[in-house]
Amino acid sequence: MYAAWTIKHKPKSLKDIVGNKEAIRKFVDWVKSWGRDSPKRKAAFLYGPPGIGKTITVEAVANDFHMELVEKNASDYRTEDAIKHFAGLASQYGSLFGGKRIILLDELDGLTGTADRGGVKATIEVVKMAHCPVVLIANNAYNPRFSTLRKYCILIEFKKPPAGAVMKHLKRICLLEGIQAEENALKFIAQRSEGDVRSAVNDLQALAQGKKRLTYEDVSWLGYRDRQETIFTVLKMIIYSKTCEGAKKAVRMADVDLDMLFQWIYENVPAHLTDPHDLANAMYALSMADVYRGRIRRTRDWSFMRYIIDFMTAGVAMARVNTKPSGWIPFKFPQRIRMLSRSKTERAMQLSIGYKIKRRSHVSAIRASKEILPYLRIIFKNNAEMAAGLAKWLDLDLRMVEYLAGSNKKSKDIIELLS
Amino acid sequence: MKLGEDCSLSFQMWAEKYRPKTLVEMVDQKEIVERLRSFVGSRNVPHCIFAGPPGTGKTTAALCLARDLYGAAYREYIMELNASDERGINVVRETVKTFARVRSIGEIPFKVMVLDEADNMTSDAQQALRRTMERYTETCRFILIANYSGKIIEPIQSRCAPFRFTYLPREEQDRHLRLIAEKEKLNLLDDGLDAIFEVCGGDLRKAINTLQAAASLNKPIDAKAVYSIAGKAHPADVRKMIETAMGGNFSEARKQLRVMIQKYGVAGSDIIRQIHTEIFRSAVPEPWKIKLADIAGEIDYRLVEGADEEVQLSALLARLVEAGYELKETI
Repeated sequence: MYAAWTIKHKPKSLKDIVGNKEAIRKFVDWVKSWGRDSPKRKAAFLYGPPGIGKTITVEAVANDFHMELVEKNASDYRTEDAIKHFAGLASQYGSLFGGKRIILLDELDGLTGTADRGGVKATIEVVKMAHCPVVLIANNAYNPRFSTLRKYCILIEFKKPPAGAVMKHLKRICLLEGIQAEENALKFIAQRSEGDVRSAVNDLQALAQGKKRLTYEDVSWLGYRDRQETIFTVLKMIIYSKTCEGAKKAVRMADVDLDMLFQWIYENVPAHLTDPHDLANAMYALSMADVYRGRIRRTRDWSFMRYIIDFMTAGVAMARVNTKPSGWIPFKFPQRIRMLSRSKTERAMQLSIGYKIKRRSHVSAIRASKEILPYLRIIFKNNAEMAAGLAKWLDLDLRMVEYLAGSNKKSKDIIELLS
Repeated sequence: MKLGEDCSLSFQMWAEKYRPKTLVEMVDQKEIVERLRSFVGSRNVPHCIFAGPPGTGKTTAALCLARDLYGAAYREYIMELNASDERGINVVRETVKTFARVRSIGEIPFKVMVLDEADNMTSDAQQALRRTMERYTETCRFILIANYSGKIIEPIQSRCAPFRFTYLPREEQDRHLRLIAEKEKLNLLDDGLDAIFEVCGGDLRKAINTLQAAASLNKPIDAKAVYSIAGKAHPADVRKMIETAMGGNFSEARKQLRVMIQKYGVAGSDIIRQIHTEIFRSAVPEPWKIKLADIAGEIDYRLVEGADEEVQLSALLARLVEAGYELKETI
């Protein structure tokens, strides 16, 4: 039976705690200020993100200064009665054995909702009556609920320790566990934890327990663990899902936006649903998703979004009835988008020619670029003289002539006639 | 540098060069021309809607009316706006209003605003237009030009005199093309004329453009020349795409569709119209024909609503793949 390393290797003394030197010094000074008389502020409010050593600091102080730690989680003192009992303890000057006592009320964020009404109020009472240091811990001290409570407290902020500090802690654990760890393996874990030392230690244990060596290879896969799934995995989940829920769930894992995901599915469905009936049903589902996209556009009501997702995921998955699995088929980038970006300049050119035509012929530029331009193209390819005359009449520029003629040689002929 | 500044060559698009200048020159549309001439006679014009398919003389009629009404300086009294290029509500608010509210000086107390491709105006812009039309009737008369009058909102329709333009009859189109051929000294053969009508079906602008492109080949204009022009101008080979789909190759058919839409700018509604025609000519089992027509109708409607053309038409292509498969199964 293995113990959790977060407990087994918990720093016992202040000197073992990584990071937050400034906050710890401030806290120690405050604890030391408790002599015969209480200091002005009888409670310290430690706050900051999870897993960075707030609770451990209090425990280490109690250990280093030989104080009795009376610890309660928010979940333990939800009711006023429980808190009154607790307040009794706090009001005494010291423990039975004459030592000093320190009171810790942890996880104050847990005091939520109407069920805990009175919880904060009672906490204030505890602080008021206290004759020994009271420590409060929460992730966010600036929650409006704590506004009155804050007045009785000295506020001490704990920050995320830098990756280097986390790494130092991991190294110490490896040393104690007898593990030879590669420097960049530990660095990877430390960086990924983003200052959450507790999660870094948990990761280290998961990866290194029972090993003599820890390499970078061992840890690098960690990056994939909870990161957003790659598009291929998502597509596979959608197209091959046996349940609606499974297909729909995949959307949450995609790290592309919904429109782009739609294009990926639209591109890849034909290769993966080869049975004609399945394919027809899947494409019909996609067309329905598109219909709902239009309905959102018209009504500006984004709640229709859920139907887009239904059709583009579950609709496709459920279309798969007759298609037999046929080994590995690669997923392709949406060709439509590739082509669209390639033809963008071309369409812009067509429209600019359309505007030239419009100036001469009572047709919209858009219509001219679609309906008249094709004839110009034929003329420019076949008859330099007529092309030159039209180029002049329409006031086309050099690039437009080149575009319509389609080849260098032909455009040269036309331009020669024009100069 | 401007291209061709010193160049003596000049070619116009023949569709412009031979555009009728006055109402009497108009090709066909006799009843419409009669009524418009009576407006000119009485020096008064109501708001009008000219509706009808492309290339049937709607814009020409509006321009001719203005010229007959105001004479050679007619340009000063009319404004042409194309709703496809400027279809927003702001255009109506600013440009149209500014033009409409200023009284014209001259014999005729109103100006004429020609709103071409008005069926492409947003309904918001149409609502704004309706008020402008009402408020400035004294100083400005509107001619709205549209392919589908159904896309013009009801309150505007009820304020306008409707004119329905129809495709030109064969002999009228031929007469006009022959006239151009004579003036441009072309060798236009009878089967060439047949082919132009077959390809353009009474759309005179398209017919003239086809004639000019065919003329650029510097050969006698026969059926072969015309068909090759038509094929090059609109390589949208819908029939081939249908065959590809019915043959079972969906991905290839979709690619052809994509090229049509993205590269050649073919309208989705044109593609679906051709598919619809082909469905009933095809060899799929009879019950499938009506099934496909049902889907085509649904998809057609979605396109009108503004859905994504490629996605919607792909769904139809996939059904064609399915129909082709059924066909093979039954044989």
